[in-house]
Amino acid sequence: METLTVILRALANVVVVLLLAPLFEGVLRRVTARIQSRQGPPLLQPYYDLLKLLGKEDIESGESPWMQRFAVHLALASVLTVVCLLPLGAPSPLNAAGDMILLIYLLTLAGICTLLAGLAAGSTYSLIGISREMITMMALEPLFAITLVIGALNVNSLRLDQVLDGSVYAGGGFPLSGLIMLAVMLLSFQAFVQRVPFDIAEAETEIMEGPLIEYSGPKLALFKYAQMIKLVIYSSLFVALFIPWGSALVFPFGWLWFWVKVLGLVLLVTVVAATHARYRIDQALNYYGGLLGVAFVALILAGFGY
Amino acid sequence: MPDLFHTPEARVLAAMLLCLIGAGVTVALDRRRRLAGWFSFGLVALASALVLSAVVEVLRVGPGQHGVTFFALPPMGFALRLYVDGLSAVFLALISVVALCATFHAIDYMVRDVPEGSGRFYPHLLVFIAAMFGLVSTTDMMWFFFIFWQMMTLTGWAMIRYDRRDAAHQRAASRFLWMMQFACAVTMLGAAMLAGDEAVVVADRALMRFDFDAVSHQMPILLARQPGWVGLALLLFLVGFGVKLGMWPFGQVWLPDAHPAAPSPVSAMLSGVMLKTGVYGLMRYFLWLVPAEALDRYPAGGWGLAMTLLGTITLFSGTWKALRQEQTKRLLAYSSIGQVGYILMALGLCLTLVKDPTPASRTLAAVALIGALFHTLNHGVFKSLLFLDAGSVLHATGTQDMNRLGGLLRFMPWTGFTALIASMAIAGVPLLSGFASKWPMFVAGIGGRQASVLLPVCTVIAILTSALTLALMIKFYGAVFLTRASDLVTARAAGSPTLEVGWKMRAAQASLAGLCVTAGLVPLLGVRFIERAVTASPQGLATLLTAAPGLNGTANPGLLPISGAAAYAPAVVLAFVAILLGFTTLLTRLGGSRRRIAAPWLCGYTLGNDSNRLAAAHYYSELHRAVARLSPTAGRLPAIPPRRPTPTTETAPASAWLPEKN
Repeated sequence: METLTVILRALANVVVVLLLAPLFEGVLRRVTARIQSRQGPPLLQPYYDLLKLLGKEDIESGESPWMQRFAVHLALASVLTVVCLLPLGAPSPLNAAGDMILLIYLLTLAGICTLLAGLAAGSTYSLIGISREMITMMALEPLFAITLVIGALNVNSLRLDQVLDGSVYAGGGFPLSGLIMLAVMLLSFQAFVQRVPFDIAEAETEIMEGPLIEYSGPKLALFKYAQMIKLVIYSSLFVALFIPWGSALVFPFGWLWFWVKVLGLVLLVTVVAATHARYRIDQALNYYGGLLGVAFVALILAGFGY
Repeated sequence: MPDLFHTPEARVLAAMLLCLIGAGVTVALDRRRRLAGWFSFGLVALASALVLSAVVEVLRVGPGQHGVTFFALPPMGFALRLYVDGLSAVFLALISVVALCATFHAIDYMVRDVPEGSGRFYPHLLVFIAAMFGLVSTTDMMWFFFIFWQMMTLTGWAMIRYDRRDAAHQRAASRFLWMMQFACAVTMLGAAMLAGDEAVVVADRALMRFDFDAVSHQMPILLARQPGWVGLALLLFLVGFGVKLGMWPFGQVWLPDAHPAAPSPVSAMLSGVMLKTGVYGLMRYFLWLVPAEALDRYPAGGWGLAMTLLGTITLFSGTWKALRQEQTKRLLAYSSIGQVGYILMALGLCLTLVKDPTPASRTLAAVALIGALFHTLNHGVFKSLLFLDAGSVLHATGTQDMNRLGGLLRFMPWTGFTALIASMAIAGVPLLSGFASKWPMFVAGIGGRQASVLLPVCTVIAILTSALTLALMIKFYGAVFLTRASDLVTARAAGSPTLEVGWKMRAAQASLAGLCVTAGLVPLLGVRFIERAVTASPQGLATLLTAAPGLNGTANPGLLPISGAAAYAPAVVLAFVAILLGFTTLLTRLGGSRRRIAAPWLCGYTLGNDSNRLAAAHYYSELHRAVARLSPTAGRLPAIPPRRPTPTTETAPASAWLPEKN
């Protein structure tokens, strides 16, 4: 019985995210358009886009088609597996099956799929894209890991239900390390969700979506879907780690409040993205390097209990 | 005598003798390479079977009381006493499995146009394997240690310089030789410092003065009287075995040159197994030598912190250097330094945590040791596999230069698939073996804050480094197997539809890949194996670890140490990934879209060729530039390979569409 509940709750997470992710994307596109004095597409446009892509011709140009197919499917499947681990306004369903270390590496796996897909396509543009994507991952994965490790140190547990519940502030008040990490994560959040000014790996105007350049039809749909879901995942993680207040409300209110917070974060991402220009990869690297240094200081502070 | 032969020790000795006899026979088979290959494989299979049966017996029944003394010369303090306990069993199992696959791979691999006969290869290989069996089961810290170490080193040296045509290989081999002699001398000096003056009697048994048990017996007294002296000896062990396992700063002196120089099956043995004898030595001398009752006098915490730091530096620097490599086997050799750094770090975590008497810390120490041993096994398997795959690529294309490779997955599907599994395993992808063994290390490191703040910091550096590992495996796999076929590969594949190697090489690769997947999906198998092994080694600090409340995985399909504060259940994760993969497949079928093959779009430029490909040297060049700006040797950019002339028939000359000058 308990197993069944777990499975149902995990699937509920998946369904909710599958339904909501394009809506957030729609909001993002609409608000961006308004900031740039355009009319903008209807809110439901991302749903139409996905449905249309699913029926379009699937052009394969790589020399390893099996790898292309595998990577694309795994890209969406792995982000959806991450969704099963997340507390989306309710406790994490797969709490007993994995901890924060698994979370870190599953998110990496989602990135690996993009890399493999880009490599399998083999166009020079996609290779430049994956090289940039990998560099970004090398800088961002530790930032995210440090945040979770600080949380784990505070609550002395690696379990998701304990870490993903405002754990960076646990231990009373607002510890310095938690506040530093809040600033660091805010400053790097655009990079986590791959939006301007840190969408360097895709850079449509420059290398034509990098890893995705050779993908079309249903494959592109899966990638786009995975990208939309990543926006939701990172926003939820941010909410769960840094904005935990009000999560204890009774069911429909706590749940709704959670999604309101996620929406707020999406709007923040939108505003930043619409008002900034893309950085070059070397500028971004310097920026990440600085953040990484600060994050290590925060980690050491957290180790000493500050 | 007959019941003597039933002991595990006797079987290990028999396996060693088999290999030694075989070495003599293969000398005579110099001109008959294929026969020599099959003969060696048969012998290694037999020896492995003997050793594995000994391992199984030790784990099932427990180790013998005292081991078996086969031969003794008391006036010299010289005795061949073998003792196979759980710790030895873990390493024996690794050696025999990897040796089996590597020798099978070698049968085809060594039938090549090398000017030499096989008489310079198989005898050395067999003695090398026998020496490793001996090294992890002898109890003599001086003479037999010396004999086995020299057998291993000299044959290793001979196999590294197998290809006489290349002077660089000769240099690499002699550097290997001298570093190993240094390590040998240092380790023996350490043993001499700890040994008493004469034979001692422990529990009614006369033991030679250099016997491990005799030294261990005297450790409490020695620690009380001369702690500095013991510390110096332990430092010598750390240096000696550190050289062997490629610890920073010694590893980078010899390892990256020596491992790629050898024929690939030997590279696999060197990286996958030989380095692990250093791990064995460190574990044996730091965790098993000091009796548990002398713990309060033994500064385990300090040694642990030192090892954690050294391990962290090793894993970061090795992986970082690997990122710059453009030769397949050289990249893998550097990555071996990185991965051994993880093992060293985990051993350090274990030593640091074992000093703390609280049950929670003891459990974490046990978790760290499990991580270290499990990673030893897993790294042995996936790194050997990667070297075998790199060897198959070398066999098929004749080059190790990643700039000239590409698109091999289409031509070598088997090799490509096994290399994918190994690459993903080493990068720590969940559901594969690398993650299963890094996970306990990270659990112990993050949980070990009570012992020292350094532990979580080092753990985060290790997590960061696993992103680097991923980057370098992406580079390796992408540049060799994915991307588009390079000119070299196209030329090689012109005559035949496939470049795939023969079934023997494929079978060796496939069985190692199977082990990677099994250990990743059912890590409990490995964890139980190691738990049993540690329980079957009742000596030194290990007794404290077995007494600690361990991993209580019995109630759960996954791993749930430290009373449920961390969890990993691969079966559940696999089930969800599988369900969701089914969903995505369904999704792509829904629209009824049709598939079409087309050429890639290069913005209207010429077709892809070697001069507009992104060569391996250019991966992550922005990162290297950014770091170069920080380093004292600023301004040195990564070398860009010279352009080769390419056919220009497809492009119009630039002048055709540039505005003419007035």
